[in-house]
Amino acid sequence: MKRSAFLAAVAASLVVLAGCGGDDGSSAGGDDGKPTGEITVWAMGAEGDKLGVLAKDFMAANPDVKVKVTPIGWPVAHDKLITAVAGNKTPDVSQLGTTWMGEFAKTGALEPVPDDIDTGQFFEGARDTAVVDGTTYGVPWYVETRLLYYRSDIAKKAGVTPPETWDELKAAAQALKEKGGAKYGISLSPNNWQEFLPFVWQNGGDVIEDGEMTFDTPEVVEALRFYQSFFEDGLTAESVPAGFDVTQGFVAGTHPMFFSGPWHMSLIEEQGGAGLKGKWDIAPMPKKETGTSFVGGSDLVVFNGSDNKEAAWAFVKYLLQPEVQRKWYETVSALPSVESAWDQGALSSDARLQLFGEQLKDAKSPPPIPKWEQIAAEVVNAELEKATTGGSSAEQAAKEMQQKASAIGTE
Amino acid sequence: VTDATVPQPRQAAPRGAAWLRIRPHLTGWLFALPFLVIFAVFLLIPIVASLVLSFTSFGLGNLRDWFSADFVGVDNYSKLFSDERFEKAARNTAVFVVAGVPLTIGAGLAAALGLNQAIGRIQSLFRVGYYLPVVTSIVAIAVIWRYLLNPDFGLVNAALDLVGIDGPNWLGAKSTALASIIALGVWRNFGFDMVIFLAALQGINPVLYEAAKVDGATAWDIFRRVTLPLLRPTILFLAVITTAGYLQLFEEPFVMTGGGPLDSTLSVAMYVYQQGFNFLNFGYAAAIAYSLFIAIVVLTFIQFRLLKADEYT
Repeated sequence: MKRSAFLAAVAASLVVLAGCGGDDGSSAGGDDGKPTGEITVWAMGAEGDKLGVLAKDFMAANPDVKVKVTPIGWPVAHDKLITAVAGNKTPDVSQLGTTWMGEFAKTGALEPVPDDIDTGQFFEGARDTAVVDGTTYGVPWYVETRLLYYRSDIAKKAGVTPPETWDELKAAAQALKEKGGAKYGISLSPNNWQEFLPFVWQNGGDVIEDGEMTFDTPEVVEALRFYQSFFEDGLTAESVPAGFDVTQGFVAGTHPMFFSGPWHMSLIEEQGGAGLKGKWDIAPMPKKETGTSFVGGSDLVVFNGSDNKEAAWAFVKYLLQPEVQRKWYETVSALPSVESAWDQGALSSDARLQLFGEQLKDAKSPPPIPKWEQIAAEVVNAELEKATTGGSSAEQAAKEMQQKASAIGTE
Repeated sequence: VTDATVPQPRQAAPRGAAWLRIRPHLTGWLFALPFLVIFAVFLLIPIVASLVLSFTSFGLGNLRDWFSADFVGVDNYSKLFSDERFEKAARNTAVFVVAGVPLTIGAGLAAALGLNQAIGRIQSLFRVGYYLPVVTSIVAIAVIWRYLLNPDFGLVNAALDLVGIDGPNWLGAKSTALASIIALGVWRNFGFDMVIFLAALQGINPVLYEAAKVDGATAWDIFRRVTLPLLRPTILFLAVITTAGYLQLFEEPFVMTGGGPLDSTLSVAMYVYQQGFNFLNFGYAAAIAYSLFIAIVVLTFIQFRLLKADEYT
């Protein structure tokens, strides 16, 4: 009796915490197979602000469905979704960051993707973000991947062409600093797994394979040593001040190379103005064994607490249509996850976008395991920082990563 | 004293004795009800709930069915002893308290003593100036301080440059990050201590100062023998409040450094947040939170003992 009273108190407090959850959907599908009723969709950031545009189109085509879009700020989105799951107040559909998939699948709140959605239409790396223990719990909505940004004017001065291999990347960084007159050769983060893992993949390694951690492999050690060498040789800044924006350094010419996603194109154009036009470009990832990059973006999920799964999946399917994906690109510059959407329009004619499209075919993300966020922050970022700025060796860092990540486990 | 003011012994009622006992207090309870409800819902229940949580393995998989969490006894607490990051967080927090509390109280006292001498406009101006950081949003403060401490174009290093010193990367280097956070914490909080000290100073009877002067006491004697002893209760109060507040250090490192570099500014409260809300190990996070709570209670108790013991010496 005592114990259940205590647990009831726990439950009650969680209900309080969950008080800010969303509305539930209403009635189920109609008889004629056409979806009806109301669904609530959570979307974050710019997507949340603009999704209404697509929802309107969808409602015009499906007059019996009412789509309610709830915009959520990125900084609070994770907490809000977790509270919603705890309070059983989940929306029907939500956008989820690709690296959150493992966690939310583990809560048991996600509905598996129905068979009539062809998961072969997506970029492979993006599709894999939603497959947890063999079950697909979501579909990629839009994607992003990382490329090399470089200052072509400084590169010209230094006499280097866009690096195609690891060795060339190193040589280019050196040349940009020494001959090009830049303060640094490249800008690498001392503690960001998203920048580091591509080097592991490019080296033919991985960090988790078949549920086992593989941090202490020669491939990871070598990638760590390569990454570390940029710090040892003074080719990148020892530490990054809080709130550091690489765009400023890139525009100023102090940080002439960095890896980032498509959003930096508009940032550079904005901050660089007319003066920087024609003085920068992007290039595919440098190659070792492969030229693999990181793939991020967002997936779409349907919660199994939804009363109106039919309408929910209908809306998801609508968002995956190539022409809708293209329209979404035009609305918020989100790159389509559906490969065939790239065949037409601006996506097929813009040379820079095409580079992203090409890179997406060779892009990966860490496997969606529930504990990834913790392993990424407490283990990979922390040990990477020790290797880049804290004086530990690559072997030591890899060993620590292996041991600590195994202690946390994949569950 | 008349009989009327003496409460009459209540006669035993034949029925509804409990009701009669409560009835006279009913209005009081009704007035207290809104507070009691809010207190119970937002404080008492969560406090009890998190205590229970700290003995469970409550995590991601239990979110949908709370009762599926296993009771694990004191496992979460014993895990703390082998947790490197907790140890680091505890050490950082201890350093912040040990260095920050005396500095904050000292700065508050110094400012109050100075302002107590000043008059009129000047006093109000400085009082407002020193108190402003207390009421300013931490986010705004963080933006400004990050600029001040920026290694490349910050004001602090520019000033150091003038006298020929190559300033460090304050928030980015392991050796100076925690010191920078302490400086920010002191600057941000001493205004509160100052206001309390000012009020206490103005409550000291000037006759005492006069008598001391007549006896030939120097300014230092007066401060040590008259002002300081009379401020003892105020110091106790501020020591308790400041220590309890500083043990819960969170905002400053959260907005300035995110706990880095290499966890050199990670505080216990930040670690609770990370474990609970980033990694979703709710049971473990609750155990850390309760350890912090116990530390605060013990320290407060010790402070009361230390500062009260020699009250009359």
